[in-house]
Amino acid sequence: MSGKVITITSGKGGVGKTTLTANIAAALARSGKKVVAIDADIGLRNLDVVMGLENRIVYDLVDIIEGRCRLRQAMIKDKRQPELYLIPAAQTRDKMAVSPTDMILVCDQLRQEMDYVVIDSPAGIERGFRNAIAPADQVLIVTNPEVSAVRDADRIIGLIEAEEKGPGKLIVNRLKPEMVARGDMISVEDILDILAIELVGVIPEDESILISTNQGLPVVMTGANGSSAGQAFTNVARRIEGQKIPFLDLTAKGSLLDRMRGWVNGR
Amino acid sequence: MINQDNRRQINVKGIRDGLLITLGNAAYDDMLQDLTAELTQKQAFLQGSRVVIEAGKRPFSATQLARVQEQFTRHDLELWAVLAEREETRAAARKLGLATRLPGSQTDLDGNALPASSHKSAADAATAVPVHGGLLLKETVRSGRSIYHEGHIVIIGDVNPGAEIVAGGDVVVWGRLRGLVHAWALGDETAVICALALNPTHLRIADQIAIPPDDNNGNPAPEQAMIREGQIIALPWQPRN
Ligand SMILES: Nc1ncnc2c1ncn2[C@@H]1O[C@H](COP(=O)(O)OP(=O)(O)OP(=O)(O)O)[C@@H](O)[C@H]1O
Ligand SMILES: [Mg+2]
Repeated sequence: MSGKVITITSGKGGVGKTTLTANIAAALARSGKKVVAIDADIGLRNLDVVMGLENRIVYDLVDIIEGRCRLRQAMIKDKRQPELYLIPAAQTRDKMAVSPTDMILVCDQLRQEMDYVVIDSPAGIERGFRNAIAPADQVLIVTNPEVSAVRDADRIIGLIEAEEKGPGKLIVNRLKPEMVARGDMISVEDILDILAIELVGVIPEDESILISTNQGLPVVMTGANGSSAGQAFTNVARRIEGQKIPFLDLTAKGSLLDRMRGWVNGR
Repeated sequence: MINQDNRRQINVKGIRDGLLITLGNAAYDDMLQDLTAELTQKQAFLQGSRVVIEAGKRPFSATQLARVQEQFTRHDLELWAVLAEREETRAAARKLGLATRLPGSQTDLDGNALPASSHKSAADAATAVPVHGGLLLKETVRSGRSIYHEGHIVIIGDVNPGAEIVAGGDVVVWGRLRGLVHAWALGDETAVICALALNPTHLRIADQIAIPPDDNNGNPAPEQAMIREGQIIALPWQPRN
């Protein structure tokens, strides 16, 4: 078996990488895949909290790399899913404790047992980002519909191309359709116009994310079908698996996203 | 890490003509090692740039300089000039076909004066590099990238906000221009900047600077910017027959 390594990254911080990692990993696991999520944000770990696995941490990524435990020992099994695991980040170390080569070696081992390795990258352009993208087969770039986040995403996409990890794919998170309709928020179309990469997800702003994050239960696991974000996360997972899933109609009229689809597919 | 202090002596700085790299005064082998480490670390950011070395009083033989040049080539950088106070170093540079002074420029992009040695060498045997040739790029130039070339620059693709194009000659963008462009950076006022859609953050031609009005996003049309009567203007491209 040779699993696929997917890294979720962004230029600007706080755009939703950790939320997306937890939910995409859970959605892939729900569809019957073997999935391990890795928190590569050394020193600022929080994927464990969002996944609700914080109090089960014994070993972490740095323990694996420095040989204090075997790979399996640091993989926390999520009991709510058949095959979902987490490798947490070390909280007391910094990013220099891990090198890009370490990440490649760890992921090469994981690939043999797992269908997917989903890596939560720290924001920015420094070492932590390089560690996170080094083993990636596919990089997903997260942005919010804000000019500054899009600018930073553009920068990151350029760096990913320079590292020959491109072309990345784009996820737009926290879209507020009403605001776009009023012209108060940049649209997905405007974002694609600048970034010119393939879109794999549009996640709406959704209060249930905050609630589920506090409970340590990814939205996709709550089965809350009323949650549009939950459906959007599942759709991202299915697109990652290669299915052609139309984009959720987030606009009142639907015309905008229709045009957007044409734009993406037409490339 | 070893040589932390020397490492800091290697200073990389953006100037109009590319990057200006100061080598400090550590021993040659240490310097070369530090330079390699610095270039490796910053490769993604520096890649593709043209480099001017500020050698100062440091002597270089042609062989030593060739090894330095090799490091740049290996990191996808092009060394094209060496500024040196010693004639032996300048001779070594010329032997490798490198320029020993910058054509006309005395300030960097921020308008700061370059180190003295770069412009007091008017009496040098080497002549200024004339604008010749061009650079063709087929890609999106994204935020954070700087493209420098002493000749003309043609880009087939978009130039995004936060990107920077600096050319010794004209600039043609077969795509949307939304970043910063500086054409004829060394002073000729007959330059043009053309784009299929001209919405730059700002434009410079020679010493003129223009910030375009906000209202021209309506329906993008090919335009050509040039200097007329001391001012940058943009004219829609019109087919002539
Ligand atoms: N679609 C959404 N709707 C509402 N809130 C969201 C959404 N996505 C993320 N959030 C909230 O935004 C905040 C930041 O999200 P998250 O921690 O996932 O970002 P991050 O990119 O991992 O941040 P960092 O760069 O600090 O690692 C969290 O409070 C999260 O609950
Ligand atoms: Mg995070």
